[in-house]
Amino acid sequence: MNASPLASSTDYRTQDPAVADRFKRLYQRPVILTVDNLRKDFGSNGTTRTVFDNLSFNIHRREFITVIGPSGCGKSTFIRIAAGLDDASGGQILLDGQPVSGPGPDRGMVFQGYTLFPWLTVKRNVMFGLEMRGKDKSTAENEAGLWLDMVGLSKFENSYPHELSGGMKQRVAIARALANEPRVLIMDEPFGALDAQTRAQMQSYLLQIWRKVDVTILFITHDLDEACYLSDRILVLGTNPGRVVEFIENPVPRPRSPAQCTSPEFQALKHRLEELIHPPVEIEEQQLPMVRLTEAGDDVE
Amino acid sequence: MASPSPLPKRNSDFLGLKKELPPRRNWLLGAASFLLPLVLWSIVSYVPWLWHPLVHVTDAGEVEMFSEGMDLPRADFDRANTQAVTEGLTPGKGVRVNPVYLPAPHEVARAFYTAFTTPPRLPGEPWLHQSLWHSIKVIASGFLLSSLVGVPLGILCGSFRFFSRLHEPFIEFFRYLPAPAFGALCVAMLGIHDAPKVAIIFIGTFFQQVLVIANTVRKVDPGLIEAAQTLGASRRKLVTRVIIPSSIPEIFTDMRILLGWAWTYLIVAEIIGATSGLTWFINQQARYRNFDNVYAAICLIGFIGLGTDILLAKLGTLIFPWRRRNRGPSFLGSLISRLIKPLKKSISNAGSATAPATVTTPTPTPAAADTPPSA
Repeated sequence: MNASPLASSTDYRTQDPAVADRFKRLYQRPVILTVDNLRKDFGSNGTTRTVFDNLSFNIHRREFITVIGPSGCGKSTFIRIAAGLDDASGGQILLDGQPVSGPGPDRGMVFQGYTLFPWLTVKRNVMFGLEMRGKDKSTAENEAGLWLDMVGLSKFENSYPHELSGGMKQRVAIARALANEPRVLIMDEPFGALDAQTRAQMQSYLLQIWRKVDVTILFITHDLDEACYLSDRILVLGTNPGRVVEFIENPVPRPRSPAQCTSPEFQALKHRLEELIHPPVEIEEQQLPMVRLTEAGDDVE
Repeated sequence: MASPSPLPKRNSDFLGLKKELPPRRNWLLGAASFLLPLVLWSIVSYVPWLWHPLVHVTDAGEVEMFSEGMDLPRADFDRANTQAVTEGLTPGKGVRVNPVYLPAPHEVARAFYTAFTTPPRLPGEPWLHQSLWHSIKVIASGFLLSSLVGVPLGILCGSFRFFSRLHEPFIEFFRYLPAPAFGALCVAMLGIHDAPKVAIIFIGTFFQQVLVIANTVRKVDPGLIEAAQTLGASRRKLVTRVIIPSSIPEIFTDMRILLGWAWTYLIVAEIIGATSGLTWFINQQARYRNFDNVYAAICLIGFIGLGTDILLAKLGTLIFPWRRRNRGPSFLGSLISRLIKPLKKSISNAGSATAPATVTTPTPTPAAADTPPSA
């Protein structure tokens, strides 16, 4: 990878005064999620493998955290524990000071596979969580209508999920999770299955929604640009065993726009992430034992 | 260069691997699947030199062993005639026929009508439609009773490991016991009338039903269950609001298949105790050697089975609208949907938000997919 001159001249830790000031204010907000010495082992007949250990950090109210890491670092496992879908082997996660056990409506989740209920219309999907929490049908219907408005899908409220495109499905899933007014919205590579254009659009939708809603976002991705574009802070996990490598404060000023992708801070940050995720190992190109099957002189390069 | 070849005709490929055929062709092939065996049957029945192993004597001549109207093997007929000729007697005449147990298609078709219109031989005996209705009652009671217990139990076993381990091993064992083997026991316990028959259908259906439905329920996408959990669904709600609605279309399909199996148990069930229903009719007609009626009754079972299955399939697309894909409707399908359209309209007019008015679901255009949200 050719490091751009900008990346080498700017340090990702240098912050604009406005950005630094914003982080100072951010840290004054109450801590919403505490991860305390979290450990996860996968064990099968005697031999146990530690996925991650000693995971400890704090997340403040209305922060946008992205989690990145090489495959096998346990980022999905961590997020599933945070959502209560898996149990930790050691340590704990505190939400507003209360230890988390089991899934609950205070932690909304958006999955990569949409997981909309195919037998319910878009509106009924959004109403699902509200009804689970015992709201009566007309209240749930009104609130679901508002959330669908917010994600721009009121026109499709009576459609079934299979009639929607991938991006629209994921917007419904976001509306469904947010309708429960969760304290934390956990998103597991939510845009991973979308094409580049839809993905960019979804990212800007998500930032718009996040600005308007009182919610803390924990967002897993393997796309470094996405991590840089969306986050306040980036949690970088490492492998063998999984651990926090660095918790980076994103120097790119807000409000964000796609044009910032070429700014020096953005490039410096991305460069740093690349170093952390893909350490510079020389990959030797292996020569394949191929015989020439084309005529001499018929070269493509 | 040669003149540009005409564009390849669309759908010209009959044998495209895993390719959908156009609806019209689907339909024609469906009709052909019935026509093919019918044509075979007709050839065997109407082409006199194919098979036709017997001779039907039309004129006995002076041959002693012949009598008008009797059927006898061709070889015997020829031998008797040759002997008669050498003895100077007038030989008999006859036409080649198939055995009485293979009536021609037109005879069966006629029997289809006459079987319903001919009164039974003895005054106390049931008409065909009464026999048929009796059979349907037996099968419906057995199947309903089985479903009443089997479906909930299957759902429980599929949802909870606890119930699965508690019940399934025994059910797995029991389903290998052939239902007819319980015939004598059922008669001893339940008498000779309908109760033991219903019991046989119950035994034949129930154990399969629990296992099949439990397996279907186990296939529910775990992602949906997790999503519901993060939305705050309790354990009970997970079953009633996620697992059941998500698997109900497949359960419905299972039930259609199980109902087909129940029909096969019907014939066994009806011989147990006092023979009744269609089986009684078939046996009675076979005894009188009215084999055309026997075939007609057997075909009747097929038509009823196929008919209910098509109706239920159609009903499935009606009550599970999220399952509809834009697939060409079959002829019977479109006919039935035309028949039930007014009914459906009245349902959607009644205010049910989940029943859209059209069968074909419009797919959103890409332009619509890119609509930005109202800020």
